[in-house]
Amino acid sequence: MEKEVLSKPYLLSSDDLTIEDVNLIFDRVKYFEYHYSLGATFNDLNGYTVALAFFEPSTRTRISFEIAAKRLGGNTILFSSATSSLTKGESLLDTLHTIEAMDVQIFVVRHSGCGVPLFLQRNTNKIVINAGDGKHEHPTQALLDSYTILKHFGYINGLKVCIVGDVLHSRVARSNIILLKKLGAQIAFSGPGTLIPRHFSIWNVNFFRTIDEAIDWADVIMLLRLQNERMDSGLVPSLSEFSRLYGLTVERISRKPELVVLHPGPVNYGIELQYEAPSFPNVLIQTQVTHGVFVRMALLSLLVKTYESRAK
Amino acid sequence: MDIYLKNIRVVNPLQNLDGIFNILISNGIISYFGTVPSDSIPPETKIIEGENLICVPGLFDIHVHFRDPGQTHKEDIYSGIKAAANGGFTGVLVMPNTSPPIDNTQIVEYIKSKSEGQIVDVFISAAITKGLEGKQITSMNTLAKGGVVMFTDDGYSIVNSEVMRRAFDYSAPFDYLISQHCEDHNLTQGFSANDGEVATKLGLKGYPKVAEEIILSRDVLLAEYCNNRRYHAQHISTKNSVEIIRRAKEKGLRVSCEVTPHHFSLDETYLETFDTNYKMNPPLRSKDDVEGLISGLKDGTIDCIASDHAPHSAFEKEVEFEKAANGVIGLETSLGVTLTYLYHKGHLTLNQIIEKMSINPRKILGLDPIVFKTGKSANMTIFSLDEEWIVDKQFFKSKSKNTPFDGFKLKGKPKYIINKGMLFTSNL
Repeated sequence: MEKEVLSKPYLLSSDDLTIEDVNLIFDRVKYFEYHYSLGATFNDLNGYTVALAFFEPSTRTRISFEIAAKRLGGNTILFSSATSSLTKGESLLDTLHTIEAMDVQIFVVRHSGCGVPLFLQRNTNKIVINAGDGKHEHPTQALLDSYTILKHFGYINGLKVCIVGDVLHSRVARSNIILLKKLGAQIAFSGPGTLIPRHFSIWNVNFFRTIDEAIDWADVIMLLRLQNERMDSGLVPSLSEFSRLYGLTVERISRKPELVVLHPGPVNYGIELQYEAPSFPNVLIQTQVTHGVFVRMALLSLLVKTYESRAK
Repeated sequence: MDIYLKNIRVVNPLQNLDGIFNILISNGIISYFGTVPSDSIPPETKIIEGENLICVPGLFDIHVHFRDPGQTHKEDIYSGIKAAANGGFTGVLVMPNTSPPIDNTQIVEYIKSKSEGQIVDVFISAAITKGLEGKQITSMNTLAKGGVVMFTDDGYSIVNSEVMRRAFDYSAPFDYLISQHCEDHNLTQGFSANDGEVATKLGLKGYPKVAEEIILSRDVLLAEYCNNRRYHAQHISTKNSVEIIRRAKEKGLRVSCEVTPHHFSLDETYLETFDTNYKMNPPLRSKDDVEGLISGLKDGTIDCIASDHAPHSAFEKEVEFEKAANGVIGLETSLGVTLTYLYHKGHLTLNQIIEKMSINPRKILGLDPIVFKTGKSANMTIFSLDEEWIVDKQFFKSKSKNTPFDGFKLKGKPKYIINKGMLFTSNL
């Protein structure tokens, strides 16, 4: 039997994953996809309680983790900041220790602050999974994006992936850059000068001035959500100029039908993506969501194994 | 109280002094310097064997926050004084961002009366503008008559050029020292790290170097325009800032500046683990800047080493990184870090270090120089140049423990201070 544990008993950053870890996770994803389709049930998380600690609003990531944990036989508790004692001024560490005292073994953390999952992991001996921290990272999104690309092409090494839009404020971009580069993809950015990190050369990536140039180069276009507050704060002069330069339209996709399009959601239709575009077969937004559940099942099951092997 | 310093190396660049001497101090006055007749040593004299120790003019930290009045859970004047003494300092300059701020003589009187008679001399800087709001200048003459020796809005950099011009012009007839924490706040909203490689990877909002350099350049231009005013730039952190000061000095302008031990010894990579003990304003910069700061220390562009001692409680630091308070304490590590990173690495001579930690800060503030000779009052710091030690924050006298140097191995350690006839022995 192959090695069945990950190199670390937590996932805070794509940097925590080795290539062997990613392969192990993807094998496990395939296993779950196949057996689930046959109607199998799983008990990998029997006796485990997963705290979905969402200090920031989320729909798909929270539900995805919840379904993944339940399909593996685990219990889940939902913690959301709006209804918690955090609004009464309870400190984050007190909140962590309070939940911990109720015999919770896994923390899935979403927070608006960079580094919060790492901060919590340093203060607990339980499993911590980063479900998105500020502008820092969102490693499970990167895993499901990579898996989606792998499943479509059959390989990742050598593929050209261009991340388009608000890279500066995007945790999805940061986690994807690390993971996709690790798996051999070439990366590029395209977006307004005010939304591209000034020091992006540290990643050794290409840059394209417009989405048209990006499409010519890329095998995969990864769109990012343009948040309304970028407009309000004046980082982007107008939506019309943004979508003219960086919006993916039916016309643009038609020019290169083999182009694969990903988006972490939620989509702003009419800004980064034309409303009719998702009907194209290579726009894989729904597929990403479906894969998300299996990727998180694989991750949860392997982290629990890793955790148990260390506890022995 | 009598103190006898026996066979101790005494160094004072002001007097071109460097040699082994015996010193007898009686009631705070140097009664013998050089040789001490044995029959003149009273019984019960405290004897300090000088072997492996160096005696220098009392160290002075030109940038500390004692949080008193207003935030005495972080520090107060007494604990701040103990931290200073423990770190080898006989004098400090406190910053005006207390609560309420030091913008009127009542607060000045409060600090003076609380620190009176203490072993560490506490000098006071006051706000340039009322309430540190950057709008109306304070009653500078009244404050100066009350004992204030410098004006600064410290953390609240004055971005409005007209207000800064008024501060220079108003102070001109009295030639007060105007000082600035250089930061264009428009460029630093929401920052928590240097705008560089590390912030880019971590997704943190960056504090660009130009935010410091823009205000520093403007201030130098204004100081010149307002007929060469006395201007002191606080804790400069970038290579370009050093260059701006260098050019200003070449022009003959009366500008000076300081650097903190953390900025010349650490760089932004320390933030990679989101440890809030490396979060401060200005932020840790790149390796290139550290080199630039060291070159500025070497060629004299940088006049002073100052800790920017900024105490914060655990509950203000053990939180989400971006929410954590800015600032680190430094009084108890300043000398050790300076000796380790500047002297033992061969960047500065001992004389240069004494100049930057004692002579220059006093000179910039217009205070009396310290000279060692019979009849003068004894104000001195005694330290070991070569003793190695591990920083353990549990020994700190400061109320707060937010140091970036906990666990660091340092070479060179404060031992005693002597001032106003009192002796303090460091426990570090």
